[in-house]
Order: sequence, then structure tokens, then C-alpha cells
Amino acid sequence: MSLEDSVRLIVEEFLKGMDKEKTQPSFSTLPLPNSSRIDECQITDLTEIDLQRYLQVPNPVNKALYEEMKLSTPARIGVWRSGPRPLTDTLLRFRADHAVAQDSVLGEVPEDFPVKYNMVSIQTLCQSKDEYLTRPDLGRKLDAENLEILSKRCPKGAMVQIIVSDGLSSKAVEANIPNLLPALTQGLEGMGVKLGTTIFVRHGRVAVMDTIGEELKPEAAVILIGERPGLGTAESMSAYMAYNPRLGMVESERTVISNIHKGGTPAAEAGAHLASLIKKILNAQASGVNLE
Amino acid sequence: MAKEMTLVSVGIDVGTTTTQLVISMLTLVNVMPGSQVPKVEISHKSIFYMGKVHFTPFEDRQHVDGAALREIVAKEYEKAGVSPKQVDTGAIIITGETAKKENASEIIHSLAAYAGDFVVATAGPDLESLIAGKGSGAEALSKRLHACIANIDIGGGTTNIAYFDRGKCIGTACINVGGRLMEVDPLTHRLSYISSPAQKIINQCYPNRYQAQNGDELAVIQTCLQSMVECVERVIFQEPILPQDSPLIMTNLLPDVKLDGVVFSGGVAKYIYLPGIKEWWIHGDVGPLLAEAFQKSRIYSSLLVHEGSETIHATVLGAGAHTVNVSGSTITVSKHTLPLRNVPAVYPEWEASGKFSWLKPAENYSFYRTVALVVPSLDNTDFLTILTLAETLACELPLIKGEPKVIIAQQDIAKVLGQTLQRLLPSIPLVCLDGIELAFGDFLDIAKPLPFQDAVPVIVKTLVFAN
Repeated sequence: MSLEDSVRLIVEEFLKGMDKEKTQPSFSTLPLPNSSRIDECQITDLTEIDLQRYLQVPNPVNKALYEEMKLSTPARIGVWRSGPRPLTDTLLRFRADHAVAQDSVLGEVPEDFPVKYNMVSIQTLCQSKDEYLTRPDLGRKLDAENLEILSKRCPKGAMVQIIVSDGLSSKAVEANIPNLLPALTQGLEGMGVKLGTTIFVRHGRVAVMDTIGEELKPEAAVILIGERPGLGTAESMSAYMAYNPRLGMVESERTVISNIHKGGTPAAEAGAHLASLIKKILNAQASGVNLE
Repeated sequence: MAKEMTLVSVGIDVGTTTTQLVISMLTLVNVMPGSQVPKVEISHKSIFYMGKVHFTPFEDRQHVDGAALREIVAKEYEKAGVSPKQVDTGAIIITGETAKKENASEIIHSLAAYAGDFVVATAGPDLESLIAGKGSGAEALSKRLHACIANIDIGGGTTNIAYFDRGKCIGTACINVGGRLMEVDPLTHRLSYISSPAQKIINQCYPNRYQAQNGDELAVIQTCLQSMVECVERVIFQEPILPQDSPLIMTNLLPDVKLDGVVFSGGVAKYIYLPGIKEWWIHGDVGPLLAEAFQKSRIYSSLLVHEGSETIHATVLGAGAHTVNVSGSTITVSKHTLPLRNVPAVYPEWEASGKFSWLKPAENYSFYRTVALVVPSLDNTDFLTILTLAETLACELPLIKGEPKVIIAQQDIAKVLGQTLQRLLPSIPLVCLDGIELAFGDFLDIAKPLPFQDAVPVIVKTLVFAN
């Protein structure tokens, strides 16, 4: 029998099997998902399910161990399958997380957010999110109008200038700043550090701190900026710190702490850690690789 | 920050029969990538020097010979080429029958002071069981296999049992069964010493004195040992304890769980794993015969027997290399507050208002130099939650005796909590740590901070396992 024949046989067998299934619909006893009209408001937000506690394997042999493995990593393990494919549930969740990430990049920090935390709000040369995403160079610059806001409303020569920026995740700002900022200011003030007025930069890139540094001449600056979201979390924030921030400084002069979010370093604890790190930068009069 | 550093850790085990010293090197390293908040962990443990197994010196049956013991330790340090000043941490444990000697506590404390500034003096059968299980590799095995493993450490005076469920100790027991409860003359093979627990068993097995004295002595010994092992069986298999068991069972806090396997350690374990010794009297005791009794027991036949990484050295290795934890790197420590020894962990009460209060629980520990207030897991780690907590602590801390004030958080909040407290109570010396697993009834030894300013070695002494 040639290979072709055997393949034909297998296919025929398979089709026969499918016909049988058609004649005895095994799923007719199950309630159809659309048998009752689902009110749209009742659909739960998939992303609200804690994946690390969500057990998809039916009847696991060792449930305790399965739970332990799930809790040990945010990776999508133990998600079960339908034939060789993932479950619809798993696929939808994957796409939902992707949507959250996109929302976070494209979303805006609310207008009243900077006001609530007594921040002076400015905007870079980017006029829209699209421009922000396509023109990184503009996210580092300020026009004359915004520079004037700075010089009018922010004191010059502070020991530490705190800057908050949406960066690539507006959600990171909203999720972390309420806990991070008070911890950071408390920590720094506790160590006798004089702070400038906190600045909020819309559509900002990390190096906007150089432009601000040039204008306000603080001893050191820290920019708290939303990180590019991933599928694990869309709320992760980084803090870049620089001694003597100025135009033309090199990236290696920046000290960074990343992964500030609920599943990483919690915001309040990160604020306290940043405070002592900034104090170290002030004492050493250096940041980045020069600090090591 | 790829900086590495090593800690010199010493373990000294003063047991019923033998005394041993081991020096380990613990390598500490920041396990987080450079751009993240650092976290210091012990990355590697290696044995730097394994001392000889010495007989524990005694003045008489009731007194440990302190001077001779010190001599042993001094000689071992000399051979290792390490001076007590170089020692960073570690533990001395006085175990088994030796812990019951009249001058045990006095000896161990003077030895601790001599052996190194930050060496911890501890005793207690529960801790010994735990340490032996760590040193024998049973803890690591249970973690690796995700199983519940019992470690049975059979020494000269006691059998120490510890259960490890997926790497966590869930209970211990200490039973007065050991290879040196009866001693024999190596030449005549006749009993030369019978300890009081062994005598009780003999009396139990042979109510008729005449029978015991005139029968075949080997048979008498074997009958007694079998009776002792049966007691261990009853404890392990959660069977009703018989009246004759009570003088043997010193502590028993083993939970009723299904065991997946067992590891034997201690001096006697060698003969369980390598049976067939003809000259059972070679050590002048009944150790090899006890091993034989364990081999014939249901423990050996009905449970999966694993071989650990250590037998006779398990306890000393555990004491030297496995007692130290390193607290997270985001912590707050006031200057010149460390080291601290024997700080009891105090758990708060829930007040009707939903707040914690440490005032009443702390009163029970007022005779200690200071106490460590444990902050249980909070629902969230928001700044406001921490501020509220800090305000509660700021009210209560001045009313609680002892300095420095020690606070141990279960979540990663020690730095922000510490900074908040420093603002509220500027003049009070403070030690605020996290990343340490604690249970009710634990005691802590906190060594001085490492050159990585933000990490401190902590030794948790678990003395109670009852829930």
C-alpha cells in the first residue's frame, strides 16, 4: 500500500467518525451558551480574574502542588487545553490582557490628577498620543510656553526635583503615584532634603528631565514614568534618577529602579527605597554608573 | 550591583555522645537585576572546615567538662585557621542527654561568648529536630519532591523527628531513644552503664529482676531496643501512646499527616544504611543494635526510605549552615542597635476597632531585653494603610519596654514603615525588617548589618510548633 493510499484511508476513517458524531450530537444535553440572553453588564471583566489563583485543569492529580506552581510564577502555566489548542478562556484572556496594555499606552491621565497631588502640569512638544509614539525626540522637549510655566511656578535650585510622567503607561501613574509619592516625599523630607514643586509632564520621555534640569537647575532629579506595558501588568512604573540633570548628559549617568507595581516592588515601599537611593546620590554627587 | 560577600558561619553541636564543630561559608548575593530594588539572598553554602568528631567531655555523669569542651573548640579553630573574631554568625546547640546536665546552660553560654561575637547559644529538642532535618537534606528533599518527608535523627541520647512538608517544617518530636542509653564493655560485651530511661524500659520488659540479670544480656538489650523503637513507631504512626512510652517521649508535636518518605540521620543512621556489622560493640554502646531494631521496624518497611546527604554530621551542619536567614534589603535599621539576641516574636491582638494592638501580648515578655513586634499580612500595602499602622505603633511603642524597638513585617513594607516611624518617633532606635518567615513562639537573633548596609542576617529559633 502506498503512502497516498494509507493517508486516504486515514482521512476516510476520520470523516466517517465525524459523520457519526453528527448523527449523535453529544453536546445536545448541554445548555447552549446563547440559550438565555446575556445582559452585557453581567459579563465579568476577564482581566479581573487572578490568573495565579485560577485553576483551569479539571480534577488535577495533585491540587496542592498545582496551586503552588501557579502561585510561583505570573507566567501562564497549567492552562489546560482543548485538543492541541488552548481553551477559548485562555485565548480570550490573552487578548484581554493585550487590550489592557494597549489601553494603557493610549489612555490619558485625567486632567484633575496632577491638581489633586499639587503638581504643576506641563506638556511636551507632542500634541497627541500618535505623535508621542512616533516622535520620541519631541517627547523630550518643551516649548517656550511650557518653559515659562516652569520658571513661574517652580522654585529653582531645589535639592531634588520630582517629575511624574505618563510615558508609555497612563495606568501606571494612576495606580502607583498615590502610594509612591507620599512615601518618597516623607522619606526625603525625613532626611532633611528640600524638594521643589512636583511637575507632571504629559507625553513625556525619560530625557525630558534633562530639559527641566536645564531650566530649574536642581541638584538631582527623579522622573517617575510609566513603563511600556506587557501582558503581565500594565501598571508598572520606573524611576530614573540623575545627579545634575542637564542637556547632553549620557544615559549611563542615570540610575534606574524598575518594576514598581503590585506584583513587583509595591509602590509605597519603592518610594521609601527611592528616598534612600536619592539621598545616596546627593551624598556621592553622582548617579548611574558613576555611583557604583 | 553584582557584589558578592561571604559570611563565616560556625556550627557547634554538643551532643550526648559527640561534640563537633563545622565552619561554613555562606555566599550572599543580590538576586535581582541591576535595575530593580535589590534583594539579598544566600546563594551558596559550602563547608569550609569539618571538624573531627570528638567525644563530649564529662566531669561525671551529671556535669559537662567545660574546660575540656573549650579546649576542643579552641583546637578546632586553630586547625581551621579561623579566629573567633572572624566568625559572623552561627549556632551552638547542646543536644540530647547533654542538655539535661546540671551545668549545661552555663557551659553553653560561656562557650558562645568565646566562640565568636555573634554565635548564638541555643538548646531545646524541637530546634534540634528542625536543624537535624535541615542538615540531613530532608528539608531540601521534601521541597524538591514536593512531598512530606520525616527526618529521624537518631543520636546517642535522643531520637529527633521533624516533618517537612514541601520544604516547610510542620512539626517535631523528641524521644528518649538513643544508641548510648546503654553502654557496653568492648571486651566483655557486658553492659557497663544503663541510663535511667533505659533502666525504666528494662524494668518494663523484665518485671522480674532475676530474669534480666541472669538471662542472655544481648537478648535483653535487643528486647529493650525493640521496645524503644516501638514507642517511636507509635509516635510516627499516630497510634495511642502506652503508659510505658511517657517517660521516653520528651516532646511530641507531630501532626497527623500522610508521610511520603523518611530520611534517617544521626550517628546511628550510618548502620541503618550500611547494615550487617558483626562487631556491634565497637563503639562501646548499643548504636548498631538500635539501627538493627529500626531496620526491622514498620517505619523502615512501610515508608519509602530516602538517603539524606548527611548522617552523623546532620545536626552540626544544620547548625552551621542552615540556621541563617537574610532579611530583605529594603529595611530600616538605626545605627548601633545590633546585634540582638533572644528577641521573642510578639503577635498582635485584633481590637474591636479592627486595629492591631501589641500592648497586652507584649506584657508576657516584659522580662526580655526587647521584643519583636510582628506585623501580620495587611490587606493592601497602600501608603495610607501603612500610615495608619505606623500611627498605632507610634502610640504603643513608647509603652512597650525595651530598646531598640524591633518590628518584623510579613510583607515588603519595612522601609516605608520604618521611615514613617522615624518621622513619628524621631528619637527612638528602631530595627524594622521584612522578608523573614516567623511563627508564633519564635525567637530571633539579629546580627549586625552586612556591609551591604541594607541586609541583616537573622536567625529564627523555632521553639514551638503547636498551633
